[in-house]
Amino acid sequence: MKKFTAIVGLFFVLSAGSGLYAQTSPDETLFREAKLLVFDKSWEAALIKLDDLREKFPDSPYAGQALFYKGECLSGIGGRERDALRAYKDYIRLTDAKASLVEESEGSIIDLAFGLYEKGDASALRDIEGRLGHVNKVVRYYAAYKLSLVSDKKVAAKAAPVLMKIVESEKDPELLDRARIALLRVSPESLKSVEDRKPTPGSPRMLKIRVWNKGQKEPAFSLNIPWALADLALGAMDEEDRAELRKKGYDLNKIMNELAKSKESILKIVGDDGSIIEIWIE
Amino acid sequence: MNKCALNRDDWAAFLSGDLEEGRRRTMAEHLEKCPDCRAETDEMRRVLEKADAVKAEIREAVASVNWEALPVMIADRVLANAGKPEKAPRASWLRAWALPLRMKPVLAGLAAGLVVGAVAMYFALKVPGPRSGQDTGYYASGDFLDRAELTMARRNTLDYLEKSQYVLLDVFESAGEGAAAPAAFSSEQARDLLSRKKYLNAQLERFQMAKAKAICDQIEMLFLELAQISGDLPAAELGRIRGFVEERQLLLKINLVKKELQSEI
Repeated sequence: MKKFTAIVGLFFVLSAGSGLYAQTSPDETLFREAKLLVFDKSWEAALIKLDDLREKFPDSPYAGQALFYKGECLSGIGGRERDALRAYKDYIRLTDAKASLVEESEGSIIDLAFGLYEKGDASALRDIEGRLGHVNKVVRYYAAYKLSLVSDKKVAAKAAPVLMKIVESEKDPELLDRARIALLRVSPESLKSVEDRKPTPGSPRMLKIRVWNKGQKEPAFSLNIPWALADLALGAMDEEDRAELRKKGYDLNKIMNELAKSKESILKIVGDDGSIIEIWIE
Repeated sequence: MNKCALNRDDWAAFLSGDLEEGRRRTMAEHLEKCPDCRAETDEMRRVLEKADAVKAEIREAVASVNWEALPVMIADRVLANAGKPEKAPRASWLRAWALPLRMKPVLAGLAAGLVVGAVAMYFALKVPGPRSGQDTGYYASGDFLDRAELTMARRNTLDYLEKSQYVLLDVFESAGEGAAAPAAFSSEQARDLLSRKKYLNAQLERFQMAKAKAICDQIEMLFLELAQISGDLPAAELGRIRGFVEERQLLLKINLVKKELQSEI
């Protein structure tokens, strides 16, 4: 296949005018048209063209990729998740499958399996669990992340070893935060053990927040999270609590900086309604 | 000494503003009528304010004390003062308690430290719940984690859109210069962005960020193409990409969604 066939394929039809059709083979033209329809999410129309391509030109160099795009269309249509799963799995098995599209297919299989599980098909999770040991870490990580969202906590906890590995060894802050939150969901004690193993001399380790409603002995809100998630915790604070702090002239970022410097000191804010917010760092 | 029957345990809470509303009102009404109690309250408030103001000095004073020699020193002074006549009691118990301290800075520092410690202890015991060292495990409610993920989804979508813009602008600039673009570089960036997009898919759907999802999906299709390219991309093909992106007004749409997300963060 020519070096730039794919990118040319997508943009040729739209920008170059009808004269250029003459320079391309019928299978290539069909494929380009189908991809443009995929881009516009015209799933049914695209699916017709892709099936047409595979039927009329089974030996075309585009027939394989057409399987991947068929999977995209079937996912998009809704209600045909199992057909979509089959299309992606068929594409992955092709000997000339492209690495980037294989990675995408794996991700789509995980998403589709999760969707089927949410609709009541517990066996669909096998497709996710089976990918926890995938050779490609992008696939492995994504499988662990999705499994952590499963409502059955026992099943979700199977994601913990991979998530711990991410927290332990990954440098990408986005992936790290996701893995931390996922571990907080499925196995907070695993997160604690992996965070404690990290050498962070002198820097804060844990952020604690408690909110007591007036006259209540038990806190209405409790939070113990790694210091690394402090920034997200502030972003996720209830808007009423944030408004209360703003009203009192507190700058949350400044508060965090001050607390981080002073370590174990406690910030206590008493609301007009008698509620108490305590924030401290250990 | 004041003979009023008010509960003295309430005084510290009253001064710190933590007293329950009904009792606070009772005490405030009583203080309006009773000059003795008012005087004592004023005195206590002044001591607390001063104690708060001298925290740093107290820390320095405590640090400067030779704790090993202190017991011997105190014993010597007690023996030296033995036999001296007792002083007459003062009008206020608080003043009577505080007066000797004016003459002895170290003792004054220690006493003020006790006051500060007592106030800190009061706050520590007043609010129930775990304290440092008592609960060392992590925990967060599902509701909180959802909100944290929503915050993350907004930030990451914004980041994804910004990076996508850079990749597209790279392609455009190359096309403008009439030279071949380093497509391998764009391809690598596109693959990286595609792997990020996987995580965004779930979040954008969960948090109903429809507009952001629509634009991210369109960019994803472009990157699926870019990710398959290796080598240099001829100028003519780059021009076609630009034409396509301009026709769909992708950059304008990205900017609009970015603005919306920025206002929510």
